[in-house]
Amino acid sequence: MLTSDQINTNSGDLYDASADRYKKYAKARHVLDVPQPLAIVYPKDTEEIGMLLKFCNDNGINVIPRAGKTATEGGLENWKEQTLVIDCKHLDRILKIDPYNMQATVQAGVPLQVLEDELRKVGCTTGHSPQSKPVAKYGGLVATRSIGQLSTLYGAIEDMVVGLECVFPDGQVCRIKNVPRRSGGPDIRHIAIGNEGTLCYITEVTVKIFAHYPENNRFYGYLVKDVDTGIKALREVVTNGFRPSVARTYSEEDAAQHFYHFHKGKCVLLFMAEGPKGIVDATCQAIEDAAKKFEDGIIEQVDSKLIEDWFNNLNWSQQDIDDEFEGMKEHDSHSGFTTEISADWETIPKIYHNVMKRVREEYTRAHDLTMLGGHSSHSYINGTNMYFVYNYDIHCAPQDEMRVYHHPLQKIIVEETLKLGGSMCHHHGIGKYRNEWSKEEHGSAYYMLEKLKEAFDPNGIMNFGTIFYQEEGHKYQI
Amino acid sequence: MRMVCVVKFVPDVDSFSYDYAQDEVRRDQVRMVLNPDDVCAVSFALKMKEQDGDSHIEVVTMAPRSVKPHMEDLLRLDIDEGTIISDPAFAGSDTYATSTILGKYLESRKFDCLLTGTRSLDGATSHVPAQLAEVLGMDQMQDIIAIESLDSAEAVFTIEDEQYLRTYAMGMPGILALARASGYALPYIAYEDFDKDVSDKLTFVTNATLHCAPDEIGLSGSLTQVVHTYAKHHHTRAGKIVHTDDAGIDAVHSFLEERGYV
Repeated sequence: MLTSDQINTNSGDLYDASADRYKKYAKARHVLDVPQPLAIVYPKDTEEIGMLLKFCNDNGINVIPRAGKTATEGGLENWKEQTLVIDCKHLDRILKIDPYNMQATVQAGVPLQVLEDELRKVGCTTGHSPQSKPVAKYGGLVATRSIGQLSTLYGAIEDMVVGLECVFPDGQVCRIKNVPRRSGGPDIRHIAIGNEGTLCYITEVTVKIFAHYPENNRFYGYLVKDVDTGIKALREVVTNGFRPSVARTYSEEDAAQHFYHFHKGKCVLLFMAEGPKGIVDATCQAIEDAAKKFEDGIIEQVDSKLIEDWFNNLNWSQQDIDDEFEGMKEHDSHSGFTTEISADWETIPKIYHNVMKRVREEYTRAHDLTMLGGHSSHSYINGTNMYFVYNYDIHCAPQDEMRVYHHPLQKIIVEETLKLGGSMCHHHGIGKYRNEWSKEEHGSAYYMLEKLKEAFDPNGIMNFGTIFYQEEGHKYQI
Repeated sequence: MRMVCVVKFVPDVDSFSYDYAQDEVRRDQVRMVLNPDDVCAVSFALKMKEQDGDSHIEVVTMAPRSVKPHMEDLLRLDIDEGTIISDPAFAGSDTYATSTILGKYLESRKFDCLLTGTRSLDGATSHVPAQLAEVLGMDQMQDIIAIESLDSAEAVFTIEDEQYLRTYAMGMPGILALARASGYALPYIAYEDFDKDVSDKLTFVTNATLHCAPDEIGLSGSLTQVVHTYAKHHHTRAGKIVHTDDAGIDAVHSFLEERGYV
């Protein structure tokens, strides 16, 4: 089925493949408690993927689809003794860049940065800029419903995907054609988008592309008195119909770690406007109007150069990820964790304050927290997200870190979010460590999700434990 | 072998929050941590106990009651007793008065060795080990980077100064003050012990027990007096952003050169 050079059984690589960034600290300290996959395989085309999936389906072998390896929620973690990791490394071709129809087609293993670089040569951009941009690949971006830092203007990955090709466990290849819009029944793109490798393997993606006007970029920053004021200002701009590419509000604590050179212990509100000049001018006017409207809560305006400089140095590189890994080996610490949720405008400040209160009052390791805060970074006409961020000193064994620190904090955040009707997972996906709340997240609609799993993956070979709670995997969660 | 560890919980210098409007540190948001030199002292004691299960360790601190969660974490390790000496009457004590108070408590305790850190992150005067030795009438040594052997009669240890590594032997009971360079590290708290109730091992001691005279403690008992307290004024300098290009590298290099760093 494959040649020997397409099969990797190197023990170091299998160890690396047994978990993702969710257990990054335990992984760095070499105390992972999950089984290693049997092998990592590198198919060269859709046909080989179909054969591999069919073989695994017929033989009850768990499959973990893998692309850029930047998953943060356990989606790439292995919970089965018999597991094959199917890596899309060789699906690395840009198939077509079509500036006339403003779309590009790539194979699943094309890094986002590579497509972005090619598009820039023809005056276009993907409009997609997650922090993992230099490393992430299209298969993973689509499978996890990725979002980028410019989402308020360009949308998230689901707004960009025009069509795609995917393969199901029985070997069936499906191609969803590329059209601007249609009313051909339910939008079946969404069976693949965000499936997190639990229903199918995405092999090819066609995305929208956008005209790029970097010369028109403009930046705004303000110190504001509290998170609520910042969120009101974001809402003012967005609900008035304007779409700055970046629109963010940081709590005092989070601002202190991102903007150490100008935060002055206050919350930070910032915007970036981009696009055609007329639109940028109008967006800037809307930002200035919003700042004027909420001037009582705005302490001072920040030099826009500082915001521009921050934005230009925001993305991780592979070197950053490697450096973090080495740092975790040397020290009993890491750069902390996050949990990202979303809700409507009215609800998001309530969730934020409820979480802060509960963590301070209930969390028994609160004295180990070195930072607890958050920021809103992706806004919509009806609401926004909240990215809770927390750092802590680690006083437990590396293998206990998640259950002592991250998971209890995440539990509080998820509970408070679901209680008020928000979503527990804005853009990292459910992975394996929020699956215990998947039913609550979807409510009565979970029926639809379950039926999809039953229909497309009846033997349950696709990414065991991701999205769908599994009793057998619970031992890895506690 | 009975060991007493005298420790201090100090503000975490990495988590200072500053109120720029009032130009002062936001003390209510200051996080406390176990002083790094004292971490080494407790860690060494635990190491000794690991070798000799009959050893007994008491950790003593003079601190506000708010350090209780940190002290409880120490007690979730293999520490036998924890004592927090805390009384509003002790507020304002300098190192001399602090040593008097600690000494008054320690006079009532039997131990073979007192382990502590050499200097604290927030004061760094290194007065307390020497002053405590004076109060207790014991020998003491500071800046210890390794303890080769320790029993109820003698300690053999190494001290590093600017020129030499020197090994000493000292009779016990005595005071051994470790330096952070010793590198003794605390073990992890076992997962099943994280919520363990250790209240039966923790004692609060006030001046009602110690009976220190008013003129021995607090500001009255302090030989040093604070003449004036003022917040250091922070000035915002005009920032200059450079890029990771030749011009940026030259600018940074010139800046460092002007100030004598390179």
